[in-house]
Amino acid sequence: MDSQSTATATATAMQDRFGCCFRNWMAQQHRDLDELLRAVSTDSGDAEKLKCLAGKNIQHFRDYLEARSQLAQHDAPSFFCPSWRTSFENSFLWIGGCRPTMAIRLVYSISGSDLEARLAGGGTGGDDNSNSSSINLGEVSASQLRSINELHIKTVRMEEKLSSRMASMQEEIADDPLALIAKWSGRAGEESESVERVMKGHELSLARVLTEADELRLETLRELVEGILTPLQAVELLVEMTKLHLSIHEWGKRRDSVLGKV
Amino acid sequence: MIDLVCPRMLSEEDDGSPAKCRERRRRRIDMRRLAALSTAGWLPQSALGPGGGRVESPCVSEAKRIRTSDRSCLPSSSSASSGDDAEALVAPTQPQPQPQPAVVAEATSVEWYGVMSVSGRSREMEDAVSVRTGLCRPELNQRRPVHFFAVFDGHGGHHVSRLCREMMHVFLEEELTRVREQRADEDDVWREVMRTSFQRMDELAMNTCACGSVGSQCGCHPMEVALGGSTAVAALLTPDRIVVANCGDSRAVLCRGGKAIPLSRDHKPDRPDELARIEAAGGRVIYVNGARVEGILAMSRAIETFGGSGDKYLKPVITSGPEITFTARQAEDDCLILASDGLWDVLSSELACEVAFECLREGGPPAMDLNSGPAAEDNGSHSLCPSRSVLAASLLTRLALGRKSWDNISVIVVDLKKS
Repeated sequence: MDSQSTATATATAMQDRFGCCFRNWMAQQHRDLDELLRAVSTDSGDAEKLKCLAGKNIQHFRDYLEARSQLAQHDAPSFFCPSWRTSFENSFLWIGGCRPTMAIRLVYSISGSDLEARLAGGGTGGDDNSNSSSINLGEVSASQLRSINELHIKTVRMEEKLSSRMASMQEEIADDPLALIAKWSGRAGEESESVERVMKGHELSLARVLTEADELRLETLRELVEGILTPLQAVELLVEMTKLHLSIHEWGKRRDSVLGKV
Repeated sequence: MIDLVCPRMLSEEDDGSPAKCRERRRRRIDMRRLAALSTAGWLPQSALGPGGGRVESPCVSEAKRIRTSDRSCLPSSSSASSGDDAEALVAPTQPQPQPQPAVVAEATSVEWYGVMSVSGRSREMEDAVSVRTGLCRPELNQRRPVHFFAVFDGHGGHHVSRLCREMMHVFLEEELTRVREQRADEDDVWREVMRTSFQRMDELAMNTCACGSVGSQCGCHPMEVALGGSTAVAALLTPDRIVVANCGDSRAVLCRGGKAIPLSRDHKPDRPDELARIEAAGGRVIYVNGARVEGILAMSRAIETFGGSGDKYLKPVITSGPEITFTARQAEDDCLILASDGLWDVLSSELACEVAFECLREGGPPAMDLNSGPAAEDNGSHSLCPSRSVLAASLLTRLALGRKSWDNISVIVVDLKKS
């Protein structure tokens, strides 16, 4: 009895730490977004400062991923269907987060729409303000486009590798040993040491694939921000990414509350 | 066979209302600005690295396999611009050549054409692009140079489009330089060159497995590689004419005096003459997510592979026979645009020409003096300033991306005023 309540308490504490880690990250992103937006409006000519700021943002992302990688050693499965995120967000998760190629897709959609807005002649005086926030992503150069394309092709390949590993792990559930343990057990869900051991093994595999997916997410963003885009473009991309991430969380929360889930 | 092309009027250009004029002027101004800024943004990417670390090796090795088994003396495909004829092969995943002297050579030699080829919103890169300036100086062309430009859009994998990229110019060069008896009609000779090259390309594709081996000894399952193929639009450019051969739904357009003149017609299964041809060959067009031959292929002609020994039931229906056009060059020709349907699905020929035209002409010479952007500062190498045609190709690509093109996008812009 006692040990069970202790275990429950530990589990709750663990969940709290997970939720806390996520909430800290969201709060950090809110602060970062303010800072990024300020920089775009006041320091858009100061490349060094923008570079510094972009680097700081990448570091914050790295810190968050490191923190959750530590936590995932204790309970990786929680990160694949996190209770601290909304069901809308969770349904679009790829190995515990967004697809690494999302950052590239975002560059395409933003830079393309900026260009279109100017070519299509939507740029009457009044529209200039709404476009000014990401005007520089509309100016992705030919060589940048080539580099982005190469990064895209490379990232897709890595994503596919991880997806395929994930698929194998999912299929392994119906394989030896779990499937056979279930088959030979007296009643459904019978406890045993071997089950615990096997489940722990699966959890650790999940933790490993999560860490690798996080590394790919970070590395793709870092290469875009520090290797390909100009500092101003990089800051603008970070603005759009952060905004999108925060917005989807808020929209998901609203949706959940409408459905009476919270 | 369409040997004649009729200039099509731009409806918008006919409209001389003040509002339209204003809009056009503003677009021109925007374009100038964009072009200038894009120039400023040009820099050799540090991410590329001096070694070009991200050069995709599989396609090179794949090409090598073909080369060793089929041809012994192909021009090198991995370095883009060495040699007197400034041969350049632009692969979608290959960065520009890295060694310094080569880069400098290219900066001067490629300024009259620009290439952009991106995966875009598709997760598979099946497009391939091939450019060979100064392909050869055949007797047929009075020993004057023939330039080669082509776009290949693969389906069911990238193996056929890459094979075309490696081999099409080789066949063309062989056919062009082959000694023939004199013929009354020179057009017939060019037509035969194109047709024979496409046919040889098709035969090679038929006999090449997706794994790269020629013949059917590789043991790959034929069904796995069934219905792999590629479109091909190839242009041979001489001092006085443009010969375009096309099979599939990639497209070549000539921009003449700012107006679009189609040099190819897309091979869609629902094109009345193609539909008649398909049905005469015993095929059917079934509407499954658009018109498709037997409900499978969304184009009526292509260079196809059926897995070496595989099923060839679609062969007479989906022919690789190209439609060929001849266009005499004129002084007011601005540029030639070749692109895959990733561009044409979202951009009309007219708009593409307008954009390319404005970018090439209105912007004037590459705006070196405007090299004041943040990107130019951490670079310092002005010799790598891209040509207007490179800007035009990338501008069109970005425009297509902005219009939510879901496919690979490949664009070649050839500046005819400079060529």
